[in-house]
Amino acid sequence: MSSKIDKKTIEYLAELSRIKLEPKEEEKLIKDLQKILDHFDELKSLDTSGVEPMNGGTELKNAFREDEERTNTNQGQGTEAFPELKDGFLKVPPVFE
Amino acid sequence: MKSLHNLTIKKFSEGLLKRDFSAFEITQAYFNEIKNNDAEIGAYLSLNEEGALRDAEAVDISIAKGESLNALAGVPMAIKDNILIKDLPATSASKILENYIASYDAGVIQKLKNERAVFLGKTNMDEFAMGSSTENSAFKITRNPHDLERVPGGSSGGSAAAVAAHFALGALGSDTGGSIREPAAFCGIVGLKPTYGAVSRSGLMAMASSLDQIGPLTKIVEDAAIVFNAIRGKDPLDATSDDGKYGKELLEPDFEKIKNMTVGIPEEYFIEGLNKEVGDSIELAMKTMESFGVKFKNISLPHTKYALSCYYIIVPAEVSSNLAKFDGIRYARNQKSEIRNQKLKDIYFETRGEGFGPEAKRRIILGTFVLSSGYYDAYYKKAQQVRRFIKNDFDEAFKSIDMIIAPTASGPAFKIGERTDDPLSMYLSDIFTIPVNLAGLPSVSIPVREKKDGLPIGFQLIGKPWGEADILGLGQYYEKITAPEFYPHT
Repeated sequence: MSSKIDKKTIEYLAELSRIKLEPKEEEKLIKDLQKILDHFDELKSLDTSGVEPMNGGTELKNAFREDEERTNTNQGQGTEAFPELKDGFLKVPPVFE
Repeated sequence: MKSLHNLTIKKFSEGLLKRDFSAFEITQAYFNEIKNNDAEIGAYLSLNEEGALRDAEAVDISIAKGESLNALAGVPMAIKDNILIKDLPATSASKILENYIASYDAGVIQKLKNERAVFLGKTNMDEFAMGSSTENSAFKITRNPHDLERVPGGSSGGSAAAVAAHFALGALGSDTGGSIREPAAFCGIVGLKPTYGAVSRSGLMAMASSLDQIGPLTKIVEDAAIVFNAIRGKDPLDATSDDGKYGKELLEPDFEKIKNMTVGIPEEYFIEGLNKEVGDSIELAMKTMESFGVKFKNISLPHTKYALSCYYIIVPAEVSSNLAKFDGIRYARNQKSEIRNQKLKDIYFETRGEGFGPEAKRRIILGTFVLSSGYYDAYYKKAQQVRRFIKNDFDEAFKSIDMIIAPTASGPAFKIGERTDDPLSMYLSDIFTIPVNLAGLPSVSIPVREKKDGLPIGFQLIGKPWGEADILGLGQYYEKITAPEFYPHT
């Protein structure tokens, strides 16, 4: 009924989410996900044609702050957690090979 | 220490002013309790003894000088480990953050620091707030103080256990699908999830950004109101936050108005299969409320049964996006060995594979699936449309009632290990709490005080948007009758 989850699906999803899975984990995920997706089938029977999707938790729109200079910000905080820094930036192996 | 058991925030403040005790003494007393008894409960992941005692002492000095202080001055609090306090660990109970020290203060922490509250330590939780039992913590489990073989609930299990075991006078937790309310119910304490946007999420490690809210866990409803009032408010660093229009009834309930309120009973919640203990307990609470004038009315929330599917599509989708930032590098390296000559992509695979627990991985994978090309419309978009139906159900019901009563959990605290094998059965724990987050409403879980034996059972009062004054007001009225020992000043 619902989408079929197999090993290839899990491998593809693991690749997309950059998570290395052990074979045992893959097996369990196939089972768990299939069970959960089967449960989602109940939504198919609900007619939602023309219903505006709810995009978030708030009805607020354009929540801007004043366009003023601020000197008290969080900027730069967190860099002390970087294992390697260069000129204040996080140093990592090349992104492109 | 026996006297800690009867402390409430007001009693604590009065005691400080009358010099019955000092903030330093009380903070020390809490640390003694923690050292003597937390080994068996496991509420805390890390303690802030030096900082807490220093801050408590500073409050005592201010009192001696006759300075006027706010409601939470010196109040010893426990903070869930997904909320950032600068220079203290913040692990979200995950291995991937085991070495991370918070780089800044969360918005709520800044507010509590202005109040001069005291932070005793960071509490245990399900990893990245995913879970209903705190069993998903990468570091340890937390036990329910009422029965050590049972879970305290989750994901704010550590915070709930800390308050219930008298290891803190109040605590902060976070609630995305019940993570404040369910542990509060399991541990016999009060837990409030505010209206979405009422409390800043800046400095709260995001799980599902459209659902998360920080809220208080406390001994009594009055304390929850005091803490909520201190932490609420628009924060420029959280564009989804707003001030709301709260009047003085937030802290001084209008009991005459509350006595005349109408509370809705959703027929979809009180069905045949409802756990008898839960049903009977809530009926006791309802009888008490009826006795002082509250009216009850049957209502319908027709799309209730779709809430679980809706939630478990939206949340993993948002989780997969929010947890993408954890690369095992930026928030301190989580691997012990030095990795050289490794491609960046491989580092991510390794650190995320090794650093995330099973539930986190499950939700990221599921979320990636429902957002992936070809499935987005059938799952994520569909769920967002269903979410609107669920919100509309509440809006419709609120036209004729002031608030809604509901069970918090489908039963009392379950045994440790009972639900860990089947994720779906764990998800089903949340059926009464989830719709509230989907609709962005405020809800408080209150223990059924008439129940004197057995495990605690909680009930929810679900309010209109920005309706915290009503639900907290009715909660306090209920408590003044059922637990008058906590309200000696009235």
